[in-house]
Amino acid sequence: MDPILSVENLYKQFGDRPVLSDVSLSINAGEIKVLIGPSGAGKSTLLQSINYLVPPDSGRILLEGRLVNGADKRALCGYRQQVGMIFQDFNLFDHLNAVSNIEIALIRVKGLHKIAARQRAMAELDRVGLTSHANHYPAELSGGQKQRVSIARALAMDPKIMLLDEPTSALDPELIGEVLSVIGKLGQAGMTMILATHQIAFARNLATEMIFMEAGKIVEQGTPDVILNHACCVRTREFCSSITDLTSNQ
Amino acid sequence: MEEIVYIQHTVFPALMQGLGVSILLILPSAICGICLGVVTGTLHVYGSPVTRFMVNGYVLIFRGFPLIIQLYIWYFGLARIGIFLSPYTASVLGFSLCSAAYHSEYIRGALLSIKHGQALAAQALGFTRIQTILFIILPQAMRRALPGCGNEIIYLIKYSSLAYMVTCIELTGKAKILASASFKYIEVFMIVGVIYLFLVTLASSLLSRLEKGWGRCFL
Repeated sequence: MDPILSVENLYKQFGDRPVLSDVSLSINAGEIKVLIGPSGAGKSTLLQSINYLVPPDSGRILLEGRLVNGADKRALCGYRQQVGMIFQDFNLFDHLNAVSNIEIALIRVKGLHKIAARQRAMAELDRVGLTSHANHYPAELSGGQKQRVSIARALAMDPKIMLLDEPTSALDPELIGEVLSVIGKLGQAGMTMILATHQIAFARNLATEMIFMEAGKIVEQGTPDVILNHACCVRTREFCSSITDLTSNQ
Repeated sequence: MEEIVYIQHTVFPALMQGLGVSILLILPSAICGICLGVVTGTLHVYGSPVTRFMVNGYVLIFRGFPLIIQLYIWYFGLARIGIFLSPYTASVLGFSLCSAAYHSEYIRGALLSIKHGQALAAQALGFTRIQTILFIILPQAMRRALPGCGNEIIYLIKYSSLAYMVTCIELTGKAKILASASFKYIEVFMIVGVIYLFLVTLASSLLSRLEKGWGRCFL
């Protein structure tokens, strides 16, 4: 089976500091890859490079075998529509209520008619259990609700793959569950995802593969069982044992 | 008694006529000023280095030159090179361009204050750069610029009185003519002051309503 997305030899530097060096990965339809690693390892940069929010210095990205050309603005907009992105701090549009947050891209980017866009937006809100909050502005929603709206917003674009950049790390512990359950359901429904997270217990159940990153490099990748229990690399073992200790203590 | 009759029959009708002209000066100048200010402010933040340089120059000159000098240039200066503007056109042009230079700076500040995440989210959804600015950044920036821009509109109401210097006889011009004829400076100018006060109060109450209506999404 051809991978739905492949990333080949990605490099990125901020000033003199390399943040991604020679990162390659590929993901098949329906797979869920979880990126783990300490802060500053390059997880966020990798995810943002994949959809060119942070354009890589060199390397290739292929969606369904087609090379993504970062210099072609129009093609890039088309590509980004197929790659859903979830941010750590939600980034809902502050001037629009929940349902308008979802429909604005449907109307402006996909060119849907207003009525069709509203129907689709309401259906997506229903999927994340927030129909009753359709008219609430971001400032009137809890963190968990905001993140669910942002997931609905990405899903409305019918993405082929979703990139989730620490979707729960800005949330109160109480609110993490509701967001994880939406992501879990999405995974069960067969959505292809690359997810950066520190929620190890959750990731273990969901992930097809875990990828341990440090200092801009992929150190090791394998099934959750291998990475968490039988990692080859010492550094992976250290990191995993420290975060699994943390979760078991909670 | 004689004064009341004078005010009722001479001052009041003339001032109402002048007020009409003032409103016809203020409304188009405010609208053109805001529109041009939004365009120049946006180009200042998102434009190429060349447009940035040009907008910078525009703001520098139009904020730097006293408004009365600008009006003289539009009305008397252009006439020297064969371009004859009516007093009304020269005034609206002068007010709009000067007002826009100030609006431009309020809009620029507001645009810069919008979190980068908003643009990232829009781009991630496939918005083009122009769509991102138009549908995501500007609406939020406009809300933040509103108090400053409102202030500028209130200034505009008052500096519209300079139009009579280029012979566009509006409220202040009418008052000057009346007062010179009757020497009742205090009576006439007190009434004019109250009329401006009324205009400013009306404008600020409309602006604060707009702010409140617009503000719900920024609770």
